Amino acid sequence: MASLPHCPVNFSPVSDLLRSSSSNGVPLKSLGRRVQVLGSSGGKRERGDLVIVGAAPRKGKKHEYPWPANPDPNAEGGSLLHISQFKPLKEKEKSKPAILDFEKPLMDLEKKINDLRKMARDTGLDFSDHLVSLENKYQKALKDLYTHLTPIQRVNIARHPNRPTFLDHVFSITDKFVELHGDRAGYDDPAIVTGIGSIDGKTYMFIGHQKGRNTKENIKRNFGMPTPHGYRKALRMMYYADHHGFPIITFIDTPGAYPDIKSEELGQGEAIAFNLRTMFGLKVPIVSLVIGEGGSGGALAIGCANKLLMLENAVFYVAR
Amino acid sequence: MTIHLYYFHSNRRQEGSMEKWWFYSEGSGITKSILVRDSNGENYSIYFDIENNIFEIDNDSSFLSELEGSFSSYKNDNYLNDDDGSKSDDHYYDNWNNHINSCIDSYLRSEISRDCSENVNSIDSGSSSIRTSTNESDFNLSPDLDTTLQFTRIQYSHLWVQCENCYGLNYKKFFKAKLNICEECGYHLKMNSSDRIELLIDPGTWYPMDEDMVSIDPIEFHSEEEPYKDRIDSYQRETGLTEAVQTGIGELNGIPIAMGVMDFQFIGGSMGSVVGEKITRLIEYATNESLPVIIVCASGGARMQEGSLSLMQMAKISSALYNYQSNKKLFYVSLLTSPTTGGVTASFGMLGDIIIAEPNATIAFAGKRVIEETLKVTVLEEQQETEYLFEKGLFDLILPRNLLKDVLSELFKLHGFFSNKNQHES
Repeated sequence: MASLPHCPVNFSPVSDLLRSSSSNGVPLKSLGRRVQVLGSSGGKRERGDLVIVGAAPRKGKKHEYPWPANPDPNAEGGSLLHISQFKPLKEKEKSKPAILDFEKPLMDLEKKINDLRKMARDTGLDFSDHLVSLENKYQKALKDLYTHLTPIQRVNIARHPNRPTFLDHVFSITDKFVELHGDRAGYDDPAIVTGIGSIDGKTYMFIGHQKGRNTKENIKRNFGMPTPHGYRKALRMMYYADHHGFPIITFIDTPGAYPDIKSEELGQGEAIAFNLRTMFGLKVPIVSLVIGEGGSGGALAIGCANKLLMLENAVFYVAR
Repeated sequence: MTIHLYYFHSNRRQEGSMEKWWFYSEGSGITKSILVRDSNGENYSIYFDIENNIFEIDNDSSFLSELEGSFSSYKNDNYLNDDDGSKSDDHYYDNWNNHINSCIDSYLRSEISRDCSENVNSIDSGSSSIRTSTNESDFNLSPDLDTTLQFTRIQYSHLWVQCENCYGLNYKKFFKAKLNICEECGYHLKMNSSDRIELLIDPGTWYPMDEDMVSIDPIEFHSEEEPYKDRIDSYQRETGLTEAVQTGIGELNGIPIAMGVMDFQFIGGSMGSVVGEKITRLIEYATNESLPVIIVCASGGARMQEGSLSLMQMAKISSALYNYQSNKKLFYVSLLTSPTTGGVTASFGMLGDIIIAEPNATIAFAGKRVIEETLKVTVLEEQQETEYLFEKGLFDLILPRNLLKDVLSELFKLHGFFSNKNQHES
């Protein structure tokens, strides 16, 4: 098969022309093979390295999963922590602690105490009695401030952005918690979170409104305002708990139900009404706890309980 | 027209010489009429018929004209345009030869890295033997690392599995230990039922049920290609399973459970009367023994060869589940793997107390093609994948395979099913 000398045309094989349609036109015949890197493209690969040509994943989206690439099955806390999407916030994601305006004098006092402590550390002088008196003053002011709060100040505290959310509470009180998603009827509402957890070995069903811990999460969670899908998810979970005999604990923390046209069309009112009626028919005990604000119907839809409790400086109201 | 490229060590010639032959073959199925041209320019026509054990070789002079005819369309392709029209036929023929040879070379090179095991294995019938040759000089290749690799790959290419997502290669021996997850992109590939039982059930505790149930072809379905019974036989031999589902009882981290695992390799995991009966018996057993049930679903739908009987399995299993779930109020987990479509999605797949899906699994009721053809709308592949459907609220959880066993045992413990083993810590 000697090539003929007077043959002018360059026979390029067909397969040279075959290129991958999904990964930037990489020639198909080079897939999966080791090739030499010709030039460094400013990365980990050096010139002369042998790398394997791989096509980018076919599907355009690379999905974000809550579990790490190599989850350690013996991690402390068990593998349930890996699958939860609610991870502790990293430092840069935490929002700055917000200060309410009526707390300003208290903040100034605290700042003064901190400065004094720092000065004491730096210079080595003894400021202890001065410090003690300042601290006493601080404590007294704190107590005064918080016993004589006006209602509007309480509302502001209830809506404080750094207040612990439903999942913060749940993960700190339960031994194990598995979040269950989906209403099996069209949507998985992020504003209402449901799951089963165990406290001291007994299993309970947890349902609650979830607000975000920073702005990004808030948008994802729709600021804790559920759509009818969320209420139907809560309904399904209540039936599930009734079926299996788990007591229900609900956490209320919502400005109200989400007031948009689409929710209206899907039957926001009907969803809430159905929940109200059902909750009275369940055979398992229900305990509701208001951890932040309870906004009218949206809160009552998971709040018809045997016992209704409220945390300090939480509010429950009819209108905004 | 297919050009098959096979490399032969011919026993007639001197040892160490390697010939390259290329074929043009016609015929369907297992009878083939093959026109062969070897590297010395001699033409042969081979006809062999496996069933009747016929194997004929003769020198065929009409080979040339047939080839000419079939390549005439090829001739008109652009990159073959010769401005020099004054070539004689011989020259043209040699050009063809070279061209085809080089085409074949490069095609082979490109296809080596894909799963080309079928090329090597498919001509095991007949009296030809296939050897690979490490004689590099015939190929005019630049000596680079690829050459030696590609020759070893010809022999060993069946030892790797190619990922569907990133086309990366995974070595089969480690692949199983990696739980059929692609190393490079983390894509979950299909897993057969025996592997899944090993993954989930503690070793030594698996007691299978109803292993000897086989379908008896209830409506005597005789298609022209293959009678249903023969199809079952061939799949049984191939996969080693008697039917598309394996049921039994075992222990998962010490917790006794009843489990059914469907297998996609057996006639596409289709649900026939045997599958339905086995699963129903499993659920009834679990009802009587108060065991939790896990069913791993991997199916293409209902088995068409059994007609309406396979449709009724959906109803039968659902009725068993009604009794199990509503009257005895036990715990049933359904695990949806790739692919889960059709009748299974419409019956026991979506009736679990908790529905767990694997990442990037295809889960659907009506297939993509059916939707597209009926409504003339495009359906993207990702619209029937787990992640998209999860956002639409169809499942409770998405779990990767490495965390599956632990999370399942936690779920069982939360629902009040405890393990038999003595535990020292609470």
